[in-house]
Amino acid sequence: MSNPRAPLRRIVVAGDGQLGSLAALAIKQALPFAEVIIIGTPVDNGALADRSPTALPFTNRFHDRLGLQEELLLLRAGGCHRLVLRYIGWGGHDGSGAVQHGAMPYGLSNDASLKTRFAQEWGGGSRSGTEGQSGSQFAGSVAEILAGRGQFAILPSETPTPLSDVDYALRWNPAAYRDLIIERAAAAGVRHIAGEISDTVPDGQGGLSALTIAGAGTIEADFFVDCTGPSAALLSRTAPVKRDDWQEYLPIRQLAFAQPVKPVLSLEDRVSLPQHGWLNELAGRDALQLMLALPDGVSDGQIMDMLGQPPAESISLNPGAVCEPWTGNVAALGDAAAQFEPLGFLNLDLAHRQLELLLEMLPGQVVDPRERDEYNRRAGLMAAGVRDVLGLHYAAPAAAERFGPLKQSAHLKRVLDQSSRRGRIPFSEELPLANQELSALLAALGMGSGLTPLALAEGNDAAEKSRAAFEAKAQAALSAAPPYGEWLGRFLQSNQPG
Amino acid sequence: MSIGQPKPLRVVVLGGGTAGWMTAAGVAKLLPGLADVHLIESKDIGIVGVGEATLPHIRGFVERLGIDEAAFMKATHATYKLGIDFRDFGSIGTSYIHPFGSFGEEVNGVGFHHYWLELQRQGMAGPIGDYSLAVQAAQANRFVPPVQDTSLASSYGYAYQFDATLFGPFMREFGVTNGVRRTEGRVTGVERDAETGDVSALTLESGERIEGDLFVDCSGFRSLLLGDTLDEEWEDWTHWLPCDRAAAMPCAHTSDEIAPYTTATAMPAGWRWRIPLQHRIGNGYVFASSFISEDEACDAIAKAAEGTQLADPRVLRFRPGRRKKSWSHNVIGVGLASGFLEPLESTSIYLAQMAITYLIELFPDGPQIDPRDRDEFNRLVDMEYDRVRDFLILHYNATTRDDSEFWNHVRTMELPDSLSGKMELWRDAGRIEKYSDGLFYDASWIAVYLGQGVLPQHHDPRAALPKPQQVAGALSQLQKTIGDIVTGMPSHTEYLHRQTARMADPL
Repeated sequence: MSNPRAPLRRIVVAGDGQLGSLAALAIKQALPFAEVIIIGTPVDNGALADRSPTALPFTNRFHDRLGLQEELLLLRAGGCHRLVLRYIGWGGHDGSGAVQHGAMPYGLSNDASLKTRFAQEWGGGSRSGTEGQSGSQFAGSVAEILAGRGQFAILPSETPTPLSDVDYALRWNPAAYRDLIIERAAAAGVRHIAGEISDTVPDGQGGLSALTIAGAGTIEADFFVDCTGPSAALLSRTAPVKRDDWQEYLPIRQLAFAQPVKPVLSLEDRVSLPQHGWLNELAGRDALQLMLALPDGVSDGQIMDMLGQPPAESISLNPGAVCEPWTGNVAALGDAAAQFEPLGFLNLDLAHRQLELLLEMLPGQVVDPRERDEYNRRAGLMAAGVRDVLGLHYAAPAAAERFGPLKQSAHLKRVLDQSSRRGRIPFSEELPLANQELSALLAALGMGSGLTPLALAEGNDAAEKSRAAFEAKAQAALSAAPPYGEWLGRFLQSNQPG
Repeated sequence: MSIGQPKPLRVVVLGGGTAGWMTAAGVAKLLPGLADVHLIESKDIGIVGVGEATLPHIRGFVERLGIDEAAFMKATHATYKLGIDFRDFGSIGTSYIHPFGSFGEEVNGVGFHHYWLELQRQGMAGPIGDYSLAVQAAQANRFVPPVQDTSLASSYGYAYQFDATLFGPFMREFGVTNGVRRTEGRVTGVERDAETGDVSALTLESGERIEGDLFVDCSGFRSLLLGDTLDEEWEDWTHWLPCDRAAAMPCAHTSDEIAPYTTATAMPAGWRWRIPLQHRIGNGYVFASSFISEDEACDAIAKAAEGTQLADPRVLRFRPGRRKKSWSHNVIGVGLASGFLEPLESTSIYLAQMAITYLIELFPDGPQIDPRDRDEFNRLVDMEYDRVRDFLILHYNATTRDDSEFWNHVRTMELPDSLSGKMELWRDAGRIEKYSDGLFYDASWIAVYLGQGVLPQHHDPRAALPKPQQVAGALSQLQKTIGDIVTGMPSHTEYLHRQTARMADPL
């Protein structure tokens, strides 16, 4: 006879940034009879998941599951859509000397076109890409065409529309988003206690039984979730934290943030290679945000030259992941579990996938060690997957030249080899991107893909059919999609409160 | 050949059984211009003809090759299959269906089986199969293909049960039509390149010499190339899967009803299959020769088969395990030459299909084979075999049977670490170790664990949060909806007879 374990009675989430707030809300929804307390201990500035103004499409579905409608994020948190991330210069220069660039779309709908001879050869640079931009490597995605024209909308429809296959990420204002989640969490019954953690009480089994909040006394709990950022304020008090150091795999040690400038409404964000490091340009309804990611040895003057102004803020980065992010009865999420550069906006995506995994494996009052081991196994695969996707960026021709040789996992080596020679992406569990997205990313980074035997064999007729089908699909999408700014303006206006 | 294509690779397939013709037809059809396929087969060498029952993946193979499903079913006397009915495995007198489908649906992020475990504790749940459309349709002997939407009526898949001795010839005709050259003859010599050790040509009894760039060994258990010639090491799994013989025997139908499922019934020294085809029923006793003699097994299957015996039992011998390298030099093993796992979960044809798929993905782009492609092929094939192996071992080990030496052995044997970890996670917490590559995911593991009476100690505490009556009500509603859908289906036999293009001519 199987028995249910006694459910958790009280869960404490430390850190009330956007990640901790969402974790508290999600746990309260999962365990409505439990008391969930969120501790407003200050979140470290280096908590990149917490300060990220964007994530990946996974988060949209996760939000849906938690009842956070996309409309709400557009109306209350400055939300807007990103269809592609454009990589500029990562592939070096093309034959004509122009800087290579390519756009990475999201979702699975690029698969068929990417695997055809047509798409692979067209994507290989023989055709001048989107909207006549020299050096572009066209990945064969409708999303890129829409982003290039600035056309997109969420079309309300019960049946598929020409835009249904176009997946997207959302951007938002992190402070407004956090306030929205805190409000939702409070409405769901989450208690919010402000204050710093001054002490913790071990439970004698490798975890904690209570923590002390300056000015608010001692709080006992069955389970603790650490969303405090790189300092891992709770996890670090359970046992010496063993960490998998990624310094040999990833080159970035410092992030420099520019003062945000005037808003830019775009369906595309960009990441380029200026003189040193790489530069992220994130559009948004509030501001265009520039961020430089730098290896060691770049001077303040060089940073100022690249940003055109002194950085508004700089933070240092020590990439790596905690080997056992769930220790005892403490589970660390986000930067408390893994730190790495925000290349491709994977930080909050990983944090949300960790949170989803925690919800799946949510324990009873007594933690089952095997359940914890399974969580740590899968969380470890997730972290390694992120490290490999980041490493894949640094294997791009111009990036490899700039950042020098970096260590690569056996899986990453296999992906690079198989993709370049055979046009196939070996599968790996718990990767942040689907294989179709990885193919698109490799193309955007200027890493030519080999033709698959099937593409080689399919002949020119099939290639021509694929080309015609793709063009029809793209045309239908363009006909269906209004200018994005107009659509968003109408949407915001017609949904004004009152 | 299109511009940019390399010169076609000369692919020599040795063996005209199921694996051989699937390989030859698949490569010829999907890689025209890249491969020049030549198959060698001998009338003198019998075909094992395993794999009468299949998995839903076979449908992908049929569709991808552009084979007309109706013609294929007609030619192979195929019936539809919704799962496997396992009898007497967990204990004598118990049974369950491992369906091609799921049980219920996840609610609030908690797997259905946790709610079922909670209701079962409260004495308010029926067997978990009550909440699977595939199981209910199978038990009612009804069938229609699933609908193509996201409703409950789409929540299952199907495969085929067919005559394996007819499948090979059907694929032969398809392969030859698609450009496979066929030579009949017995191989008497294998030539190897003195420098590389690669196989360079096969010599036939007739004196004919057939050269090739790539050789696919589909010569069955004999494994003439991978085993005899290259001496690739065999990893033996007899200690985990002691069955090493099968006594196969067809019999006539005893009723008009054709079951849309395969039956696997545990026997004192193994298990026996029952596979209903259009014109007959395939039967076989898979047994461990260290626990029962061949004669005893033949007697047992003859007694157990229900209908009129159509032939004497035929004994097949095999060795469970796989080659340590399924691709060595320029020789690739597909089917039994590469590895063997007993057909308890109908994986034989899947394993051949899987190897063909990877061969096509990694098809050499010239006569010089890149060792990285070879390593990748071997990594993938090993992963597939090892996952199926663990799942099969579970069927034997998850039992309380102590009625024979065989069952005492498999119940108490030491398990591979990869399986014992999975079973401990289930026993402690009712959770499945997740993976997304290879074969058999959560629903399959849950079906076997619960079907064989392995209840976890604990389940998710959230399953006990709602009022039991509320959950019971939801499950009753699900059961009713499933019942309504099943009632609306025709019987499997009726559906087959309506599809006249799929029915073979009367024998």
